[in-house]
Amino acid sequence: MFSDGAAGPVCFPDSTEHVQAIMGVAARFDRAVLARGAGSGLSGGAAPLGDPIVVSTTRMNRVLEVDVEDRTAWVQPGVINLDLTRQVTPLGLHFAPDPSSQQVCTIGGNVANNSGGPHCLAYGVTSAHVLAVEVVLSTGEAVVLGGLDAEPFGYDLRGAFVGSEGMFGIATKIAVRLTPNPESVKTLLLAFDKVADAAATVGAVIASGLVPAAVEMMDKRCVAAVEDFVHAGYPREAAAVLLIELDGLRRGVEADTAKVAEIGRANGGTVRVAADEQERALLWKGRKSAFGAVARVAPDYYLHDTVVPRSKLVEVLEAVYEIVDRHDLTAVNVFHAGDGNLHPLMAYDSREPGVNERVAAAGREILEVSLAVGGVLSGEHGIGVEKRDFMEYQFTRADLEAQALLRRSFDPHCRLNQGKVLPSAHSCADIASLSASKADGVWG
Amino acid sequence: MIAPPVIDDAALLAFAAEIGSTGPVMVRGGGTRWHVGGAPHSDSREVRAPTGIVEYRPEEMTVCVRAGTTVAELHAVLAEHGQRTALPDGSVPGGSPDSTVGGTIAVGRSPVTRLGDGHIRDAVLQLHYVAADGQLVTAGGPTVKNVTGFDMCRVLVGSLGTLGCIGDAILRTRPKPEHEQWARLDDAEPEAVLNTAKTATAVLWDGSVVWARLCGHHVDVEDDLVRLPASCEVPPPDLPPFRWSRRPKDLHRLPNETGRFMAEIGVGVVHCERPDPDPLPVPAGVAALNRRVRDLFDPDRRFNPGRSVERL
Amino acid sequence: MSGSLGLLGLDQAELDSCVACGLCLPHCPTYRVTGADTHSPRGRIALMQVVDEGIAPLSDEIVEAFDSCIQCRACETACPGDVPFGHLLEVAKGVVEKTRGKAPWWLKLGLRALPRPRLLRAGSSCLAVAQRLRLVPSQRLGLPQRLPVRRRALRATGDDVWLFTGCVMDAWQRDIHVATQQVIEATGTTVRPSGDAAPCCGALHTHAGLGDDARRLAARAMSALEGDNAILVNSAGCGAALKDYGRLLDSDEARAFSARVFDVHEWLVDHMDEIDANPPAPAIAGRVAIQDPCHLRHVQGSHMAVRRVLEPFVSEIVELDDEGMCCGAGGAYSLVHRQLALDVRDRKTGAISRSRADVVVSANPGCSMHLVAAGLTVRHPMELVAEALRAR
Repeated sequence: MFSDGAAGPVCFPDSTEHVQAIMGVAARFDRAVLARGAGSGLSGGAAPLGDPIVVSTTRMNRVLEVDVEDRTAWVQPGVINLDLTRQVTPLGLHFAPDPSSQQVCTIGGNVANNSGGPHCLAYGVTSAHVLAVEVVLSTGEAVVLGGLDAEPFGYDLRGAFVGSEGMFGIATKIAVRLTPNPESVKTLLLAFDKVADAAATVGAVIASGLVPAAVEMMDKRCVAAVEDFVHAGYPREAAAVLLIELDGLRRGVEADTAKVAEIGRANGGTVRVAADEQERALLWKGRKSAFGAVARVAPDYYLHDTVVPRSKLVEVLEAVYEIVDRHDLTAVNVFHAGDGNLHPLMAYDSREPGVNERVAAAGREILEVSLAVGGVLSGEHGIGVEKRDFMEYQFTRADLEAQALLRRSFDPHCRLNQGKVLPSAHSCADIASLSASKADGVWG
Repeated sequence: MIAPPVIDDAALLAFAAEIGSTGPVMVRGGGTRWHVGGAPHSDSREVRAPTGIVEYRPEEMTVCVRAGTTVAELHAVLAEHGQRTALPDGSVPGGSPDSTVGGTIAVGRSPVTRLGDGHIRDAVLQLHYVAADGQLVTAGGPTVKNVTGFDMCRVLVGSLGTLGCIGDAILRTRPKPEHEQWARLDDAEPEAVLNTAKTATAVLWDGSVVWARLCGHHVDVEDDLVRLPASCEVPPPDLPPFRWSRRPKDLHRLPNETGRFMAEIGVGVVHCERPDPDPLPVPAGVAALNRRVRDLFDPDRRFNPGRSVERL
Repeated sequence: MSGSLGLLGLDQAELDSCVACGLCLPHCPTYRVTGADTHSPRGRIALMQVVDEGIAPLSDEIVEAFDSCIQCRACETACPGDVPFGHLLEVAKGVVEKTRGKAPWWLKLGLRALPRPRLLRAGSSCLAVAQRLRLVPSQRLGLPQRLPVRRRALRATGDDVWLFTGCVMDAWQRDIHVATQQVIEATGTTVRPSGDAAPCCGALHTHAGLGDDARRLAARAMSALEGDNAILVNSAGCGAALKDYGRLLDSDEARAFSARVFDVHEWLVDHMDEIDANPPAPAIAGRVAIQDPCHLRHVQGSHMAVRRVLEPFVSEIVELDDEGMCCGAGGAYSLVHRQLALDVRDRKTGAISRSRADVVVSANPGCSMHLVAAGLTVRHPMELVAEALRAR
């Protein structure tokens, strides 16, 4: 989709000092710099535009320190999300953000995108699990934002950095919070004849005062593709399935499980509770392989990541099917229903003439529908280059200027990950010229 | 092509007009944390944020509230639907019935229940604020999950109103637990309580007594009470006024001359009678970055002159 | 949309089945140690695409990216889209070999020696003598600690099943064949060792891009291992190759042949209750870690059979925490890409040491030699089972 750039020199630093040295060279020769983790992002955030120096963090892959007492760990940015969890499992801990790509994505990438995942419904997204970040700024200077103490100094620049998509600096060390593993976990698979019934169940579960660890939905096409891969016993005949997970203390989880099952049945669903850890793991493997499994439907896919109010799920889903059908594409839906985070996916074959234009048009309509009901452009994948030009759908000129200011506080020359997130009218050149004219009194 | 939603709340527009684009301004909330970061200069124009709940959507677990509304008022409305937010009202130690939503966000200090409810910044989904040039700006978005653009909300939470004046907020609400109570444990190790009480949303320790706030399913709290040493249902006393910031594991290493204190076990905040004599040093690079943010957002220092996040 | 037009002769549908999701990356041993996308399945497929479509020339760097693949095929197990990476790479390497003759001369020479059993055995015996005289640095070369000067003869006891004995394994590790035959016979089944008539499966030739040699060896093995009876294999690499003759030769005869091939553990699982349980065999003491050869786990998918066969005969089986990551041996790979192979092996030895195992078993001679060279003691599962049976 983004073919107008190529990588310049590709560097594989393995320490903060290396990254500082690279930034120093980039500053001296005024070259753009792009940081990249595992390259599993879904918005082109790590795709080079122009010919930037590419800083791959994959070799900065060490867990530097685990503090069991404080339940924190310092990790390098190239540590794979699931590797960290595996490493601290014997301590009864895990890293809570669990994007579906968690077996491949890096924690540096999670920080850049403020990644979510199924379990952020209850546990919160990456930002809630990052205590401090050592960042190399575009000047080559290294600073630690946030801290391990309760209320670190100054503005929450740690919070600003998380989700800044590589445009504020390069994270070289990250202090994450580790979460104790729940005493009890129950995973329910609910199957429905109608998508609307599944959506109604989601609304009813949330309205009942429960906060499940995860509420995921998959439609019929997605279930078929996933079941072909994992053979977990997903019901192929259902129009939609929900994967609902409850965790916490044993007796409370038992009560909640019964409550969810009852709500599901009342909405016309059939309910299966995973009998053991093996069955549970297989069900989740299916859910987390869904995007890759779409290769069984068509050779290419394109997906959006909008969030809509939960009460609008049915309305928006129906609109998505209508839009995608009308553009003669194949719609597959798999998403985080609990927080209204849709992943409408269009499967297609890019060699078909004119198909790219149809995909783009359908994508735009899906965004419009989502925003019209009070939604947002991206729930967890980020803006990158893909949704950059749609930012003006959601934000005013003043909003975008404020975001550009924040970026320029960190990277005054806008050297890092150029051409992402902010539409070109709000890019650095524009802001720089505004700033230059300040001397003439334009900015009172 | 669709355009961003137009801000048509008359109260908000009037707030922006009042702040305007010139002259020093200070925004007053409930005045309950007026000393934090230094008192604003008295020659600033005093402005108050609008009040009232704009839209409450219990089924979405979100509420849009104007910044001048007190948290207590907000929680009274949410309670009708069995919900609340992570912001402190008068019912928790250290909270005040006069605290406003805007003031609480601007000061950015979480209540003692941070252990279980999370930092208040994680409850803030969207803010409308008036920027230094007088324009109304939207930070964040209305949904419970959102990564569209940079995370402006996090920068404003705890900014003491020095980057922009908060007009309204969309907050995440949470169901109230089925049961909650304080348990006072006269004879317990604070760390042991932290590790044993699975339903604890707060564990406080004054050097000899531990208080745990237990929240959740009735049955789960019951189980906790069985696991814990003997306790009685008595809340902790009021908190001393100053906050020290520590790593959680350093709490048992507080100096002898600390005086009366109340430590938030598992979090690291220590409430004391006097300011922190030994705050962590701030590296020059971090201080410079903080100044750059303020310089760019409010180049003329018109917002809350005299207050600064550097002097917390 | 099948068929091929591109410069590498790759099947377009196979290439298109990759959506570049990246779920293969953490399972790829060379990506894990280099961190470079060009050394991952996703990156290699991207390179195949640009070369195939003529967008980029077949540069040295791209050839190196293909060559550096150990062909463990863990990516195929991980892939939710069933991308046939192994086949794509074999075809690409075949073209590279034809156009550039990329395999080193000494490797080709070595591979030509494999199907010459008498030469191989004589050479091995010389090496064994030199080893006794401390003239060769065995550990550094990855040779077994004590190559046999003489080998116990394998004798046919009947025609119930074939035991495929192969090339290097027969010359260097015939004791494992002896043990395997004993275990099979304990089920009341007679065994005919394949011997010199089917001297080599051709797996290494396929991996090196020497497709024509591989096909010649396949035809030879097929004509030697005649009949309808099962062909049992105790080397995971050979088993995978024999099972792939159907595709390699693309004939009904080859497909019928491949259907008769079983990994010995796979076959034993269905014959365990035929082993006389009186008296019961005493369990071998200690923690036994199972190193899954890639060609058993990812290609044949029969690694669970090893556990089920071993369970009754050992006291404790421990699983490694690396999800069956390759050990770096890769047939002749460790000779050609020494440093990468050692880096990959470091991860494996780390996992073994974390498992606190007393014994490591591997059902593939290449893997066990590679690990032995790291100073570990590695046994074949059949040796342990035979030992337990003998101890009754």
